[in-house]
Amino acid sequence: MIGVFLFAALSAVAIGAVLVLGRRTFEGGLIVQAVGAAGVGVAGFWALASGDTLGAGFSSSFDPRFGVDGLSGLFLGTLGLIAAPALVFSLRYLEPTRRGRVIAALTADFFLALALVICARDPLTFLTGWELMTLLSATVILVARRGDRLSRQTVFNYLAVTHLGGVGTWIAILLLARADAFGGAAAISSGSGLQIVIALAALVGMGTKAGVMPLHVWLPRAHPIAPAPVSALMSGVMIKVALYGLVRVLVEWIGVLPVWFGVLVLAVGALSAVGGVVYALFQHDLKRLLALHSIENVGIIVLGLGACLILRSRGADSWAAFALGAALLHTVNHAVFKSLLFLGAGAFERAVGSLELDRIGGLLRRMPWTAGAFLVGAVAIAGLPPLNGFASEWLTLQALLHVAFYGQVGDGIAGAVALAVLAATAALAVFCFVKVVGLVLLGPPRSEASASAGEAPLPMRAAVVFLAGVCVLLGVVPGMLFGPLVGLAPWSAGLPTQTGLELPGTGSLPTVWIAVVLVGLTGGLTLLRGSRSAAPAPAWASGQRVEPALRWTSAGFTKPLRLVLEVLLRPQREIIVRSEGGVLQEVSYSGHVPQLIDERLYAPLERLSLAAAAQARRVQSGSLGTYVVYLAGLVLVLLAAARLGWL
Amino acid sequence: MSGATAVAGTVQIVGGIALAPLLPGLVQHWKARLQGRRGPTPLQPYRELRRLWGKSTVSPEGATVLYRLAPSVVGAAIMAAALVVPVAAVAPSWGIGHDALLLVGLLALARFAVAAAAWDVGTGFSLIGASRDLTLSVFVEATLVLSLAVAALLAATTDLRGIVAATAGTDVWTSPALALGALAFALVAVAETGRQPIDSPDTHLELTMIHEGPLLEYAGRDLAYLQWAAAVRHWLVLVLAAQVFLPHPREVWLQLALLPVVLIVLCAAFALVETLVAKMRVLLVPRLLAAGAISALLGIASWLVSSS
Repeated sequence: MIGVFLFAALSAVAIGAVLVLGRRTFEGGLIVQAVGAAGVGVAGFWALASGDTLGAGFSSSFDPRFGVDGLSGLFLGTLGLIAAPALVFSLRYLEPTRRGRVIAALTADFFLALALVICARDPLTFLTGWELMTLLSATVILVARRGDRLSRQTVFNYLAVTHLGGVGTWIAILLLARADAFGGAAAISSGSGLQIVIALAALVGMGTKAGVMPLHVWLPRAHPIAPAPVSALMSGVMIKVALYGLVRVLVEWIGVLPVWFGVLVLAVGALSAVGGVVYALFQHDLKRLLALHSIENVGIIVLGLGACLILRSRGADSWAAFALGAALLHTVNHAVFKSLLFLGAGAFERAVGSLELDRIGGLLRRMPWTAGAFLVGAVAIAGLPPLNGFASEWLTLQALLHVAFYGQVGDGIAGAVALAVLAATAALAVFCFVKVVGLVLLGPPRSEASASAGEAPLPMRAAVVFLAGVCVLLGVVPGMLFGPLVGLAPWSAGLPTQTGLELPGTGSLPTVWIAVVLVGLTGGLTLLRGSRSAAPAPAWASGQRVEPALRWTSAGFTKPLRLVLEVLLRPQREIIVRSEGGVLQEVSYSGHVPQLIDERLYAPLERLSLAAAAQARRVQSGSLGTYVVYLAGLVLVLLAAARLGWL
Repeated sequence: MSGATAVAGTVQIVGGIALAPLLPGLVQHWKARLQGRRGPTPLQPYRELRRLWGKSTVSPEGATVLYRLAPSVVGAAIMAAALVVPVAAVAPSWGIGHDALLLVGLLALARFAVAAAAWDVGTGFSLIGASRDLTLSVFVEATLVLSLAVAALLAATTDLRGIVAATAGTDVWTSPALALGALAFALVAVAETGRQPIDSPDTHLELTMIHEGPLLEYAGRDLAYLQWAAAVRHWLVLVLAAQVFLPHPREVWLQLALLPVVLIVLCAAFALVETLVAKMRVLLVPRLLAAGAISALLGIASWLVSSS
């Protein structure tokens, strides 16, 4: 039943992909796609709730096989939940020009590639889908940014990094297939060399695709230049599909890993979480900032995953399952609010023409619906009660606390440090989104385009408002989703479905009541305050008028933190003073926070590989004769080796 | 519901909501005495709240609905936090439970509301305060979570009632874990209440303010809410300090009876510290808080060593 429904929904997306290519059927095609995506979402969550396994099971043979189980259902559900509003958003965001039509068709193909990875039940289909999702997203960017040299270079970077790192995915999957363990059919003994190699290869390969630090370099470059609906799918779902692979391999298929591997995952997660948010803070472009926040949130998810691995190897099975549930819940939550924020940013870009934070301002008045939904997304991603970000961050904090509780000295301290890092990350996210909300939504408009911005058209508004509603819903009843998620751990019996989060060893989080109390008290206090108000007066700035030139900027607001973290971040600044005959003519100031991983790790690596390539070029003369000599030499060496018994 | 629970619930509500302004009043009163001034009576905060309650609110030009809602959101978040923090090892559940990490989230919500409203005002004074507050919050939150984690590990739960029960008596003091956590929490207490040496609650010199800066434009009942919320923050951290991080008896009735005494002593300690220590440079505060975080980490390490 679910299988038929899912097949029909996927077919609808495929039909929509063809329909959008026609000029007249463009809108109809997008609607068919959106309906299909919504159907995929329903089918996915349905499969998760029923807990059944549909279609084929996993197999290490190379014939194509497809199937859906609970974990696939969760990711399919998330995919549909994000893609449906993103496609509705595209109704007005994309224009039915040739380029717009091709983008719409490629978006649907991208959707199908993501579904392919999730439903794949054999190594070959999995790897095909894995490569397709990279190539298709790169193609969409190239089509959308045709003729832009910088974007072409970025896409090349994206492909190069994800393919170099992606080697790890191939190694992990093929080794699993060879050991007949793709799907966990054959057990891999704990602590064996094979297990460690597969785990490390998966962490590198899938980690690159998920954007964990220090393998993230492509992400903050590639995500911002995609069209908004595709950004939403890339940040909301594609990097989550990479995490899906990681959960499959590390949690389901290769048995209990040694503790040190869990600590390594924890370290990677902590670095991504705090690094992502710190660099996001110092960005001045909204989409780039959001892309860096994806790294932070992937870090939080990976922290949950690391906690799960450590707790599992320490034998604390129920908390290991809760930690996995926390990671998966944050996956869904991040998909929802990040796509909401990306779509909102797309709407702002349409209305204002720029996403430079210092040139927007005042949109809460001009675009109340879109900006209101964006505000909800900002509060959610900042991890504040009563929205969904808080529920999953609370769970992750609890999981890390229990790592310290069940651990020995080494991993216990690692858990405590990760706990502190996550708390600091949450505070930094609040900092960052106060900045975003302040610069984009509040205060006076900071540019003429922003002053004349109008509300987004209905489909765009509807998409963001829907996602904001999901943020509220998942914040109020996270337990409805968390219960089944805990059951996805192969060793866990699951948790009875509940509304809040009632867990042993915690004070529990009755989210419904928290929401009721917060909303009720806010309403009550607002009523009590009454509406008596004096006439508006200009804000006090020591008698000055707040001229546009005196307004605070993104860089100014984050300056105290930049100074505090100077030792770690090495910010650069340049002041050029030009004076003539002792009279000051001009002062120009520029400053930026460099990406240290790029400069210290990748730049030397790039120089080294270029130098190596230059050396290698010497033997490549291009003349046929030389190559014949090389070949002859190779044959001789091989013959000699065979003769001497080396081969 | 037993008698002790009912009394504890009453103390929590009456103390957290009505008596909280007495705490900053006491600190100011004793501080003045220590400095050889007569100073205001301890009831001064109530007088200010009454005065503000009768005045109109003022919105700066261009402010949005967020600016107007912020004081109510802060009030609601802090009031909910007062429900979360129990005054003894027993307390009615109040529907929202007593989870220590929920407290951290509620404090962050209040901080978000005030800092976002500062952008609505858009002047340097409000934003410099907000950006400093948020910068320090990074270190405050990490230290707060770690110090609560020390207590939570000892109690094997993050339920604050369980934590109060587990840290009661003298047994926990045989290991250094809780003492190291208490050191960290002391720094958090100073930061959360905005007192010297981290912030200076007396000066209204704009450039030195942290917590006062974003409140500068508020007037009337809005300001009353915000000032009351600041007083309740004193209540929250001092109750936690008294019932978790300082030695307290096991018996619930004794816990309740001793609480006012300990609160008064802690207010006197605040006054003494404010008299003896000058305000630090803002950019040096993170180092102090980081030292607190390391102390709490050492506490966790010592717990791990002694338990394994």
